[in-house]
Amino acid sequence: MSELRISSIETRGVPGKKRYAMVIDLRRCIGCDACMVACKAEFDVPLGVFRTWVPYKVIGKYPTVRKMFLPRLCNHCDDPPCVRSCPVGATYKVDDGGFVLQHYDRCIGCKACMASCPYNARFMLPKHRTYTDITRVVDKCTFCHHRVTQGLVPACVQTCIGRSRIFGDMNDPSSEVAYLVNTMPTQVLRPEEGTKPHVFYIGADRNHTEIGRKIYDPQSAIELERDVYNRNHS
Amino acid sequence: MLEFNIFHLMPWSGAYAIYFFVIGIAAAMFFFSALSWYRPEFQTIRTQSFNISFILLAAGGLLLIGDLTQPLRFLNIMNPAYLNFSSPLAWGGLNLISFGIVSILYFLVMRKNDEGNSRKLAVVGALLALGLPIYTGFDLTVHQNRPVWNTPLMPVLFVALSLLSGAAVATFIAKGEKLLVMLRRFMLWSAGAVAAMLVSLLGTTAYGGSGSELTFMFMTSGSLGAIFVGLGILAGTVAPIAVLLTNSGKQQGGMMLAGALLLVGGMALRYSILISGQIVQTYY
Repeated sequence: MSELRISSIETRGVPGKKRYAMVIDLRRCIGCDACMVACKAEFDVPLGVFRTWVPYKVIGKYPTVRKMFLPRLCNHCDDPPCVRSCPVGATYKVDDGGFVLQHYDRCIGCKACMASCPYNARFMLPKHRTYTDITRVVDKCTFCHHRVTQGLVPACVQTCIGRSRIFGDMNDPSSEVAYLVNTMPTQVLRPEEGTKPHVFYIGADRNHTEIGRKIYDPQSAIELERDVYNRNHS
Repeated sequence: MLEFNIFHLMPWSGAYAIYFFVIGIAAAMFFFSALSWYRPEFQTIRTQSFNISFILLAAGGLLLIGDLTQPLRFLNIMNPAYLNFSSPLAWGGLNLISFGIVSILYFLVMRKNDEGNSRKLAVVGALLALGLPIYTGFDLTVHQNRPVWNTPLMPVLFVALSLLSGAAVATFIAKGEKLLVMLRRFMLWSAGAVAAMLVSLLGTTAYGGSGSELTFMFMTSGSLGAIFVGLGILAGTVAPIAVLLTNSGKQQGGMMLAGALLLVGGMALRYSILISGQIVQTYY
């Protein structure tokens, strides 16, 4: 696999280095949103913004229809564009583990990292928060760095009732994630961006995960909600 | 993307387009002031164009700092321990600060009538001024996931837009037949270059992937159509070229009319290019 390593920042197959990844088995996701709730509780994530979220789409034709869920989060890319674009080094990649994290005290709020992320994984923290005094800087999923370094799995993985989310070290060939990625057909979101994501999906269909033509003529009710949201969060 | 999704905001709002507009004019006005040391027809606007450049540079700087969510941390961009040179914003910040320093020095030596040093600083300042639209273009170009932005055309387009907007402002303060002839040439050539680049930009956007194609739809027949096609292309590029090609376009009145249209077009194009690269992504 090392022949795929291009950028010096990548940790693919580097001996002695961990490379954490998540596999999300969409066949097992029931859309209970427990992962979103666990994440919100773990990090005091404010209203309106999410470190992980679960959009859905109704696919098929009546009577054979089903809801397809697509849990989303920061992909902790092996070659993350957000790290390149941050002018003050507030976004960085942890060498051992591959976590993409934020120095909150350095972030100037230019939002270049948000513009560069192909996955919309980053958001701006609002001015007021209930329990935490980190405000008005960019935030994102950390792969629960504080838990993983203590030998635990991320909060969303811990709480997943269908065991849809699996977490582990890709550089360890005996880990469950390495086994799944090596033996199952997996997909990553937007592979064409060259970011080499560390979130792998089982059962994701590109026809359903990408933007469709429907957004050109969105439902007016949704746009009304979006306007209200933009007013409250800009 | 899906039937239920959370809402995503556009990271860069319209305020950035105003910054691009202001800083583009500031760069071109400094260039005209610098040119006055080498081309006599520009001598009459040497001080005035520098003053406009400096005021707009200060306004642009404040606008940029004000748009940060942590405005006081703009000093971090000058901290060598923090600077990340793989980011075009870091280079842009340094370019902006250097240009500000050179502008102040240029003002001081110009007041002393020190021609030798003024000429040298004029060249250095003009090169740094050229860097401003180039870096703003690179700011957009480097985001490989953004339709419209991710093209090598962007820095060149921003240089042409800067020259065009600067020449348009200069027609309002210009005195003398020879200067007007030069400014008319600047406006015609840069507007022609912008028009050619827009054709290329629209072509590559329309034939891109699904995201690019949707962006093309938003830019032409969607929510940005009136601004991009109406104000940016028709009223702001095609109409002023047509005015400049007529006989009245050779008089100052006609040139001022074309200049006003070019300024409207320059702002509309910058705004629609900035926003169009972000619309589709908010649905992902």
